[in-house]
Amino acid sequence: MSLAAQAPRFRATVILTLFVMVAAPAALIIYQSFLSAPFFDESARISLEAYEFILTDPEFYRALWTTTLYAVGMVVVAVPLGGLLAFLITRTDLKGRGWLEPLVLVPMFLSSIVLAFGYTVAVGPSGFVTIAFRSVFGAAPWSIYTLPGIILIGGLSHVPTVYLYVASAMRRLPSDLEEAARAAGASIWRVSLDVTLPMVLPALVFSAALNLLLGFETFGIPLVLGDPNGILVLTTYIYKVNTIFGAPTYQVMAAVTVFLILITLPLVFIQRRLLRHARRFAAVGGKGARTNLLKLGGTGQVIALSIIGLWLLVSVVLPVGGVILRAFVENWGEGVRLSEQLTLANFQRVLELPSLSRGIINTILLAAVGGALAVAFYLLVGLAGHRNHGRTGTLLDYSVLIPRALPGLIVGLAFFWLFLFVPFLVPLRTTLFSLLIAYIIVGLSYGLRIIQATLLQVAPELEESARTAGATTFRTWRDVVIPLVRPGLAGAWAMIMIVFLREYATGVYLMSAGTEVIGSLMVSLLTSGAMDQIAALSFISILLTAIGLTLAMRLGAKIHD
Amino acid sequence: MTDLVVDNVQKWLGGLQILSGASFTAERGRIVALLGASGSGKTTLLRCIAGLEQPEIGVIRIGGTSVLDDRAKIALPPEQRQIGLVFQSYALWPHRTVFENVAYGLKLRKVGASEIKAKVEAILEKLGLAHLAARYPDQLSGGQQQRVAICRALVYEPKVLLLDEPLSNLDAKLREEARFWIRKLILDLKICAIMVTHDQAEALAIADQVLLLKGGSIVQSGTPLDIYSRPETFYAADFMGTNNVLSGRLVGASGGDSAIDCAGLSLPGVWRDREAPADPEAVRAVIRMEAISVSPEPCADSAPFDVEGCIYLGEKWEYRLKRGDLRLRAQGHEPLSATVAHCRIPASATWLYNP
Repeated sequence: MSLAAQAPRFRATVILTLFVMVAAPAALIIYQSFLSAPFFDESARISLEAYEFILTDPEFYRALWTTTLYAVGMVVVAVPLGGLLAFLITRTDLKGRGWLEPLVLVPMFLSSIVLAFGYTVAVGPSGFVTIAFRSVFGAAPWSIYTLPGIILIGGLSHVPTVYLYVASAMRRLPSDLEEAARAAGASIWRVSLDVTLPMVLPALVFSAALNLLLGFETFGIPLVLGDPNGILVLTTYIYKVNTIFGAPTYQVMAAVTVFLILITLPLVFIQRRLLRHARRFAAVGGKGARTNLLKLGGTGQVIALSIIGLWLLVSVVLPVGGVILRAFVENWGEGVRLSEQLTLANFQRVLELPSLSRGIINTILLAAVGGALAVAFYLLVGLAGHRNHGRTGTLLDYSVLIPRALPGLIVGLAFFWLFLFVPFLVPLRTTLFSLLIAYIIVGLSYGLRIIQATLLQVAPELEESARTAGATTFRTWRDVVIPLVRPGLAGAWAMIMIVFLREYATGVYLMSAGTEVIGSLMVSLLTSGAMDQIAALSFISILLTAIGLTLAMRLGAKIHD
Repeated sequence: MTDLVVDNVQKWLGGLQILSGASFTAERGRIVALLGASGSGKTTLLRCIAGLEQPEIGVIRIGGTSVLDDRAKIALPPEQRQIGLVFQSYALWPHRTVFENVAYGLKLRKVGASEIKAKVEAILEKLGLAHLAARYPDQLSGGQQQRVAICRALVYEPKVLLLDEPLSNLDAKLREEARFWIRKLILDLKICAIMVTHDQAEALAIADQVLLLKGGSIVQSGTPLDIYSRPETFYAADFMGTNNVLSGRLVGASGGDSAIDCAGLSLPGVWRDREAPADPEAVRAVIRMEAISVSPEPCADSAPFDVEGCIYLGEKWEYRLKRGDLRLRAQGHEPLSATVAHCRIPASATWLYNP
């Protein structure tokens, strides 16, 4: 017991509120999975029917197997590539690494539904590139609507996640460790192999575990690319299960979700342990500017730049270029000159449809205002957990872990149910408030991590000296902690804004007439095949993200962990 | 008046006891130094007084008010304890100017704006900082930051001023100056001050009373003179000063004329341990380096030693001497040119202790 004993009521209130916000939807899912009908149906009773159904459904097993392949495949693609990019950009004298870094991160900021759509219009069976290729060579030897295609695209789009962790571990690596090996007679490449690699191994393992989790939770890419050939993963199985039955089958959706959580929750715990381990390694840090970068030499530069260029072409230029082009044309095909087809008609149609134009405004509102409210909430939670080593601190820890095991689609579904289930919440379901709450939970672990890192930068003595000068805990927060973290809060707001802008899965079930958001609109437009509108919305989404990123850079947000 | 009472304070960290029953009192106009090696619990004790750590057992009274009492279940938070604390790192708030840093404690005490201005200006003036009032902490030198930190802790006239290694972040020259002016300031203001330090010279120079801590309890307490020249345990004797430590067998009574047999020699000495000899076969002798006089020529009571080496240290020479298996360190102002030197070790300076 030290200072943690102060302001216990505030801490307990905030943490308990958060726990309820996190546990209630999870509990409702588990409850629903053991019912024979939707929970609001009077004939619903406790039963194992839903489990019986999925355990006898071959589609479920196929989806489970596909999901596993997808998750593992994504790791196999993303981890070596992300590690290689991190090594080339942070540890070598690669030309142009200063401006390459932000480019490498681009796929991370785009919603995967936009990315997947971009691939469809660029290299899909009737994509721009496919058609152009076919007109030159007669045939295009690829198909992205297959499982290997989906895995490759999923893996490429997750390279930035690996890059972030490994690059930051490489930057934190004290240079004297490598210099000691060089002094002992190791060549510069040997040092990379014998010192650098083992030292960043925890970061590689951690990002592998993280990508495995993201793989199991994936939704957008398999939804867009897998659907045409009936390839289902667990999340798309949940999404499609209604169409299979032709009626809402909440209990089946809930039962599949429970299975999904049984896979993801252990992954979250493994990750948590790995992260602690990785931190322990990184904590060895000495400072010292690294001056001796590995010299690549002429051929090396060409090879390295080709690798990065190819990756950028496939992961950024193709999907983003595809979206941009598709947003401004209506007709294309073999023999059609695209320059004669440029039009703004797609955007006009989007603006004419009230649901779509509302969706744009709602998305901006949720991102900007909702993002600020979310940061305020994360700050409250962060303060409640700040230097709190009591029992409530542990509860906070676990409350933050639960949502990480839930994909955005499920969080949205659970809150949709919750807003149907809890009487005093019912009127709020059709307002943006319901979406905001769900978004706050989806962004919780990321947002709280930014806030906590910022709070930890305030040296404990700065707070203690306020206390001994006569300030209460609250007064200390107000007068010392919050003023000192204010720049960090602005950066956190910008980052949360980007997270909320690109979110598409959470609103799939939760949005209603009047509370549409861009990402979820695209998901529902996919069913109707309104490609023109999806293209226009995708373009707007990319534009908004670009604005958000510019703002984040201006506010000095830290993308690095 | 007794401004600070610390009675039987005990604190555990998990299963490890880091304070095992520390007790002392301190008065206005006096400076108490908590001296000890790292891990002795001195900083923890200071933080317990400040309320930044919560001991499981003990009573602490500041200015007559109980701020901690495990039986009465009292544990006031730091802001209610009427203390000023100067941190080792100074902990100046980087987002506030010097004036605002110093004024904060007064603002919290709802002092009027004009009075705040007068008081802050007065104390900044007193410590020679008046011209820096509008600066931010990162625009100050280390010595200036330290003085601002002291102003900030003193301006609201706390009952007790706590200083955590206040000099350790200053360079050597500034430190010697600071020893002098900090002591003068505290005596002038007639406040009660507690200072934590690991540096014995600092404790001896600043404090009126030195508490030597070891393993979370107070080994010895006394004036600087007492602590240095009349240590009552082997630990205290060895901790202070630069010493020769000899192990051997006790000869004679524990009264006046004792002696220690070691390495085939018998050195007369005095029993200084507060306890009686526990095992006469195993006792220790502590001889301060400066107590041994060395000369090239023999004199009364001297014994010849081989000279192993002389080390030049600037203001003096250090001699490494040897006789049989007995090795000694001594000092003098001249190098020893001969291979043999004569040492006189006064019996009154050969202090004998239980190990």
